[in-house]
Amino acid sequence: MCELCMKHGAGGKWYLNARHYSNEIVEKYNLRDFLMEQYTNFEQMQVRPVMGFNGVGLGYRVRIPIIGRIIKGFAERMLTSTNPPTNPFRAEGHIGQVVPLEDAVAILEHCAAEPIIEKNCMCRFMSRGIEEACCINFGVMSEIIDKLPRFIPEKEKYHLTRREAVERITAHNKKGYIGTIWFGPFPYINNLCSCASPECAGIRPRVDYGIKSIFKAEYVIEAHADKCTGCRACISLCQFGALSWSWTLKRVIVDQEKCYGCGVCRHACKHGALSLIPRDSFPGFDGEY
Amino acid sequence: MKGKTKISIDYARCGESGRVDPRTCGICLRVCGPAVFLLHQPLGAVEENPYKPRQWRVTAVHLSLCTRCMKCVELCPEKAVTVTW
Repeated sequence: MCELCMKHGAGGKWYLNARHYSNEIVEKYNLRDFLMEQYTNFEQMQVRPVMGFNGVGLGYRVRIPIIGRIIKGFAERMLTSTNPPTNPFRAEGHIGQVVPLEDAVAILEHCAAEPIIEKNCMCRFMSRGIEEACCINFGVMSEIIDKLPRFIPEKEKYHLTRREAVERITAHNKKGYIGTIWFGPFPYINNLCSCASPECAGIRPRVDYGIKSIFKAEYVIEAHADKCTGCRACISLCQFGALSWSWTLKRVIVDQEKCYGCGVCRHACKHGALSLIPRDSFPGFDGEY
Repeated sequence: MKGKTKISIDYARCGESGRVDPRTCGICLRVCGPAVFLLHQPLGAVEENPYKPRQWRVTAVHLSLCTRCMKCVELCPEKAVTVTW
C-alpha cells in the first residue's frame, strides 16, 4: 500500500474511501470558491511565480546540486500538503495516483458524487491547443465546469449518467490513455483523468524532472512467458517504456522499475499474456510508488 | 546537451496583442515533440468575462526538454519564435 493509502485509506485504497468524495468536505473547506478561482486561471499555474520561482526552465533548476533537491522537496511538500487549502493559484494538495481500469470503474460505480461530467482535458489544451473530452469530474467540480465554457465539449453530451461515465472511461482506457485519480485539493477527490504523456501536467514532473507528482498504481504488470506469442502489439501502448522486445528470448519483457501499473497494455494482448499483480507482492518494490 | 536553451516569443506578432490568436494557429504547440510550449492567459490580463477569456499567449516552459530541432522557428507563420543557446 502506498503512503496515501496508509494515511487516508481507512484500511483500504485512498481513492476507494467514499469520505473523500463527500460534499461535507466541500462545505468545510469552502472549496466551491477555491476551485472556481483555480480553474478560471488554471493554465497560468506553470508561469505564475511561487515563492519567486515559476515553472519556466524548471528542468534546469532541478539539476543544480543541492538547490535542485531543495526545489524538488518543496514541490513535493506542496503537492502532498494535507493542510487546509489556502492559495488557489498553487497546486496545493494536488497529488494523484495511476489507476487501472478496474479501479476506475469501481470509483465511478461506488464512490463518485453526482453530478458526473466529462470535460475537455485542460492539459491537452494548454500544451497542444487541442480540445479533447476525456476528463471525468464529479461533485462540485461539475457545477464549476458548467460556468467555464472553454472546458465544455461542443459535440458530445457532457453531463453523464454513471453507466455512461463507465463506458467513456473504458473507451479511453482501451485507446491507451492512462487512468489517473486526483486529490484536488486534498482531501477532496474530483478528477478521474485519462492522461497521455508528455502532455499531462501531472505525470510530466515525475517523468521529466523526478518530482513525485503522481504515485504509481497499486499494481505492476507481469508478462507470462508461455502465453506471449511475440506480436509486440503491447509495446506501442506503453507510455513509460516499460515493455520491450527481447530478440534473444523472442518475447516481450517487462521492466517493472519503469511500470506505472496503468494496465492499458492488456487491451492490446489477444492472448492474455499480460496481467496486473499487486505491487506489494514484489518484495523489491514494497514501499516504492 | 550543452548550455541552456532560451526560447523567446515576440508577443507583438503572436498573442493577445498580435495579429494571430495562438488558439487558432497553434502550430508551434503541435509541431513540438516534447511539448515544450504552454498556451495560457497572460498574467494580470483584464478580461470582460473572466470565465471566457479571450487573451491567450504561448510561452516556452519546459526549456530543458527542447532538442533544438528548430521546427517551431521554421513553421511559425508570423516568425515570432526565436531559439538561442
